[in-house]
Amino acid sequence: MTGEGTIWLLPLVPALAGLALWAHDLLGLRGSRLRLGLLGAGAATATLALALAAGEWSGRIAWSETIVLQAGLVPLSHPVAVTVPAVAAAVLVFAAAHEAERGLARLIGLLLVFVGGMELVVVAGDLVTLLIGWELVGACSWALIGHRWRDEAPMASASYAFVMTRAGDLGLFLALFATFAASGGTSYDALGDLQGVPLALAAFGILVAAAAKAGQLPFSPWLFRAMDGPTSVSALLHSAAMVAAGAFLLARLHPQLSQAPGFGTAALAVGLATALLGGAVAVRQLHAKKLLAGSTSAQLGLMIAAVGAGYPGIAVLHLVVHAAMKAPLFFAAGIAHGETGSFDLRRMRLGRAMPWAAALTAVAALSLAGAPAFAGGWSKEQVVKALETAGPWWALAGIAAGGLSAAYAARFALFAFGAGARTEARPERGSVAALALLSGATLLLSTLWLAPVHDAAAGLLGAPLPEGTPLGLALSLTAVALGLLAGLRLARRPGEPPAADWLGLPAVVDRVLVRPFEAAARAAARADDLALGVSFGTVARRAARIDDEILDGMPPGTADRAWSGAARTWQGAVGGVVRATCRLAAAASRRGEAASDLIPDGAGRLAGMAGADLRRLQTGLAHHYYLLLVAGFALGAAYLFLGA
Amino acid sequence: MLSLAVLLPIAVSLVLAVVPRPAETTARFAAVATAAVSLALLLGVWAGFESGPGFAAVTEVPWIPSLGVAWRVGVDGLSLALLLMSALVFLGAIAWPMEGGSRTGGGEDNEGPNARGYYAWMLFLMGVSLGLFAALDLIVFYLFFDLSLVGMYFLIGRWGHGESQRAALKFFLYTLAGSLLILIGIIALALAMPELTFDMRALIAEPPLAGAGTLPALVLLAFVVGFGIKTPVFPLHSWLPPAHVDAPGPASAILAGVLLKMGTYGLVRIPLQMMPETFARWALAIAVVGVLSILWGAIVAFAQDNLKRRIAYTSVNHMGYAVLGIAAAGSALGSETARELALTGAIVEMVAHGFITGALFLIAGAFWQRTQDYELAHYGGLAGEAPRLTVAATLAAFASLGLPGLAGFVAELHVFLGAFAVWPWLAAVGLLGILITAALFLRLLRQVFFGARPARLAGFADLGAAEAAVLAGLLALVVLIGLWPAWLLSLVDAAGLLARPAG
Repeated sequence: MTGEGTIWLLPLVPALAGLALWAHDLLGLRGSRLRLGLLGAGAATATLALALAAGEWSGRIAWSETIVLQAGLVPLSHPVAVTVPAVAAAVLVFAAAHEAERGLARLIGLLLVFVGGMELVVVAGDLVTLLIGWELVGACSWALIGHRWRDEAPMASASYAFVMTRAGDLGLFLALFATFAASGGTSYDALGDLQGVPLALAAFGILVAAAAKAGQLPFSPWLFRAMDGPTSVSALLHSAAMVAAGAFLLARLHPQLSQAPGFGTAALAVGLATALLGGAVAVRQLHAKKLLAGSTSAQLGLMIAAVGAGYPGIAVLHLVVHAAMKAPLFFAAGIAHGETGSFDLRRMRLGRAMPWAAALTAVAALSLAGAPAFAGGWSKEQVVKALETAGPWWALAGIAAGGLSAAYAARFALFAFGAGARTEARPERGSVAALALLSGATLLLSTLWLAPVHDAAAGLLGAPLPEGTPLGLALSLTAVALGLLAGLRLARRPGEPPAADWLGLPAVVDRVLVRPFEAAARAAARADDLALGVSFGTVARRAARIDDEILDGMPPGTADRAWSGAARTWQGAVGGVVRATCRLAAAASRRGEAASDLIPDGAGRLAGMAGADLRRLQTGLAHHYYLLLVAGFALGAAYLFLGA
Repeated sequence: MLSLAVLLPIAVSLVLAVVPRPAETTARFAAVATAAVSLALLLGVWAGFESGPGFAAVTEVPWIPSLGVAWRVGVDGLSLALLLMSALVFLGAIAWPMEGGSRTGGGEDNEGPNARGYYAWMLFLMGVSLGLFAALDLIVFYLFFDLSLVGMYFLIGRWGHGESQRAALKFFLYTLAGSLLILIGIIALALAMPELTFDMRALIAEPPLAGAGTLPALVLLAFVVGFGIKTPVFPLHSWLPPAHVDAPGPASAILAGVLLKMGTYGLVRIPLQMMPETFARWALAIAVVGVLSILWGAIVAFAQDNLKRRIAYTSVNHMGYAVLGIAAAGSALGSETARELALTGAIVEMVAHGFITGALFLIAGAFWQRTQDYELAHYGGLAGEAPRLTVAATLAAFASLGLPGLAGFVAELHVFLGAFAVWPWLAAVGLLGILITAALFLRLLRQVFFGARPARLAGFADLGAAEAAVLAGLLALVVLIGLWPAWLLSLVDAAGLLARPAG
C-alpha cells in the first residue's frame, strides 16, 4: 500500500473506531464484555496491521499556505507505531475481562481514541500536528483517569494530571512559536535550521514538554495521581502511550535538538535524576500500582538519558521493551487486586493460588529487573553502555538506577506472587490471557541478546549500538545481583508505607504553586469585585469610610478587612488607580445616593447624573420603554433629515 | 440580498410588536423562520462571494448627501465570517426554549413571559447586529452600535432575573459612554478627510490623520477605549459579569457570542484599517492590554463560585487573545506572514468564541431553567442524570480551553504564532492563560458533572430535543473548524485586510 494520505489512517482508524464504540454506548446499546473486547482488540489489531504494512508513507493537509500538517514514518518511529497498537490490543483484552461492566464501552472507546492520539504523535512530521496529537493524548488521559467519575478522587486526579502535563506542554507551544518566528515554518526540518536563542528555546521547550509527559522530575507526581484511574488505563498510560510520547519525541527529534548547546547534559541530568529518585520511591512503596508508577518514571528517565548521551535508537529499543514488560505488570497488579480487593502489597502473596499468573509475572518482573537473558536486561545494558560514552559518572548513576530497578522489580514480584497462605483463586481468563500475550512478547524480545537479532534491530532503526567496557558490564551485573538480593530481603520485611508520596514532592507543589495561585486568584476576584465595581454602592460606602480614616490620620490597619485584602493585591500603579477610583466613588457618594451607583471610570460624575435621570425613567413598565424608544428614534431621524 | 438579511429581522420584529397578542408558538415560529431566512440570505451572499481586495455585495442608497452619509452595506472576508457566525448564534439563541415559556412552565412571576416582546427584541437585535457588521458607512455603523445597546438593555432588564434592571442599566450606561467616545472619533476621522464623507471604503483607501501628533493619538485612544469597553478588555470589563449573570441564557449567548465581537470588529475596521500608522505606534500598549485581559480574565474566572460568572470572565480572557492578535497585526513589526497569522487568529477567535461561548451560555441557561441556581457548589454528579448535557458541556469547555481538534485551538495557535514573532516575551506571558483556563474549566466540569450527586438533583432533566439540536449545531461547527479550518482561514483573508493601497 502506498499513496498520499494513507498515513492518516494510523491515527484515524483507532480514533474513529473508539468514538463509534462510545457512541454506541451513549445510544444505550450495551454490548457484552466479549463483544466489546473483540471489537476493541479488533480495532487495535487492524491498526497494528496498518502499522506493520506501513512503508514510506507520507501525508500533507494544508490548513493555509503557512500551516501545513505533515505526517510520515522514519525508521526510528516505525517500531513505536507498531508497539502502540500491539500493547493496546492486549490492554483492551484485559480491560474487557477485568474492568467493571458499567461504562465499559466508554472505557474501551476512549482507550482506542487514546491510541489514535498516540499514533498521531508518532507519525507527526511537523510541530503543529505533533501538538494536536500531544494534547489529544492529554485530554484522553483526563477522561480515562477520571473514568470512575462517581467517586471524588479520580476526577480530581484527572484534572491534576491534565493541568500538570499541560504546564509542560507550554514548552512545546514555545518551541513551536520560536521555530516559526525564526524560520517561518513549523516542520521538523525547519526546527533543524534553527540556531542560537530560538534553537535553545525550542530544544529546552521540547525537553520540558517531554519531561512532563514522561513523568520526569519535577512533574513526576501526576503519575502517582493517575493511579486513581482503572488498572487497564494505567497499563496503557505507563507503557506504550502518554509517558512513552515524552521519550519518543526526544528520540525522534534528537538530530535537531542535539544541536542546542547543553541539551545533552540537561537530558542526562533530568533522566538520571528521575531514574534514581523514581527508583528510590518505588523501592519504598507498598501500593502495587504506585510502586510500578515510580518505576515508570525511573525507566523513562533511562530512555531520556540515553537520548542525552546521543543514542536515540537505544532509547526507542528500551521504550519498546519497557512497553512490553510494564503493561503485564499492571495486569498482574490488577489481577491481584481482583483477588484481594486492595493494592496493598502486604496482603497479596498469591503465588500458590495462581501459579500461572505468577510465572508469567515473573518473566516481566525479571525483565524489568534487568536480569541477563531477559529483554529488559539487554536494553538496559545498552543504555548503560550509551551512558559510558557520555562519561563515567553518568554511567555510574545509570548502573545504580539499574540496581534499584532490580530491587523494586524483585520486591513487587515476590509480594504479589510469592508463596503465601492462600491456595485458591479464580482470576479472569481474559486477564491472564492478556498477561500471557505480553509476557510472551517479552520473551520473544529477549532474543535481542542474540547478535543476529540485535544487529538486525539496530539496522532497522538505522541506529548504531554503543560500545561498552567489560568493567561497566561487570559493575552493572553486580548492581543487578545486589538489587535482586536487596529486593528479596525487602520483600520479607514489609515495614510501613512511606509517609509522603514521591518524597513529599506533591506537597511541595501544592504549597508552592497550587495554593498560592488559588489564594491569588481569590484575591484577584475580590479586587475585581471591589475595585472595579460589581457593587458600586458597597465600594463607595467602604471607600468613603477609608477616605475619612485617612483624612483623620487613622492607621490603615483599621480599614475594612476585604478592602485591605484588595489593597495588598493592588500595589504600585494599579493600586493608585484603584485608590483614585475609590476616592472618586467616595466623592460621588457624598453627592447623593443615586450617583453612587455609577462610576464608569473618569466620567463618573456626569454618568452619575445621567444615571439618576435614567433611574427615574426606569418605571419597569414596558410601554414606557417603547414610547421612549420611539420618541428617541423620531427625534434622531427628524434631526438627520432636517440636517439634510 | 445583504440589505434584506439585515432589514428583514427588524421588519418582522416591528410586525410582531404591533400584531395584537399573538400566541407564543406563533411568535416563536415567526422568529425562528425569520432568523433562518436571514441566515439563508447570508449563505447566498457567501455563495456569490469571491475573496479579493475591497468589498463585495455592496449596496449604496443616498441618505444625507450633504453630510456624505448613505446606507452603505457590503462584505469582505472579515465581516462575512462574523455575519455568518452571528446569524447562526442568533438562530440558535432564538430557537432555544424561552425562559419561563410554556414548555418549561416555571411561571411563578406575576407577569407572564410575554413571548411576543421577547422574540420581537431578539429579532430587532439580530437585524441591528447584522447591520453593524455589514455597514460600510460610519454613521450607519454607529447607529447600529447604539441600537444594539437598546436591544440588549431590554432583553436583560425585562427578561432577566435577580437584579436584572440594575445590571441592564449598568451595561447600558457603561457601553453608552464607550459609544460616545466612538462617535467623537468617527466625527474626527470624517472631518480629517479632504472631503467630508463617512464612507468606510474611502477612509480605508486613504487613511486620514496619518501624521504623528496629539490629535491622532487622542482619536485612537477614543476608539480603543470605546471598543475596549464593548470587547471588553481589562480594566473596562466590570459591566460584563453582572450583565451576564442576570441575563436570560439566550441573551447571554448573544451578548458574549455576538455583541462582544462588535468591539474587536470595530478595532480592526476603524483604528487598524483607517489609522494604521497611529495604530502601529501604539500597538504595544494595546497588546499589553490584551495580555492583561488574558491573564486577569483567566485568574478571576478561576476564583468564581458562580457558573455564569466563571464563564463570563473567560470571555474577558478570550477577547484578550483577539486583542493581542489585532495589536500584533497592526504593529508593523515582525514578518508580514506573522502579522497576517495574528490577524487571522484574532478573527478566527471571534468566530470560534461566538460558537463556543454561545454554547456555554446556553448551557448555563439550561441550568437556570432547571434549578434557578448558578452556585457551582450546589451541583455535582450530573453526568449520570444528564449525559447529553455533560457531553455538550465537556466539548464546549475543552474547546474553550483550546484543545486541538476544536475551534479555539486554531484561533489561539494563530494568534500566538503571530504575536510571538512580534513580541516574544509578551506572547510567552500570555501563554500562561491557556494553562489557567484549562484548570478552571476542568474544575467547573468536576464540580458540576462529576463526583457525588446531591439528592435534590435527582430527576434533573437532560437536554430536550430543541436544546440538543441547537447545541449540536453550534458544537458541530466548533469541531469542523477545529479539524478542517482551511475554508474559514481562506475566507477571512487577513492579507487583504492588512494590504495598504498606498504600500
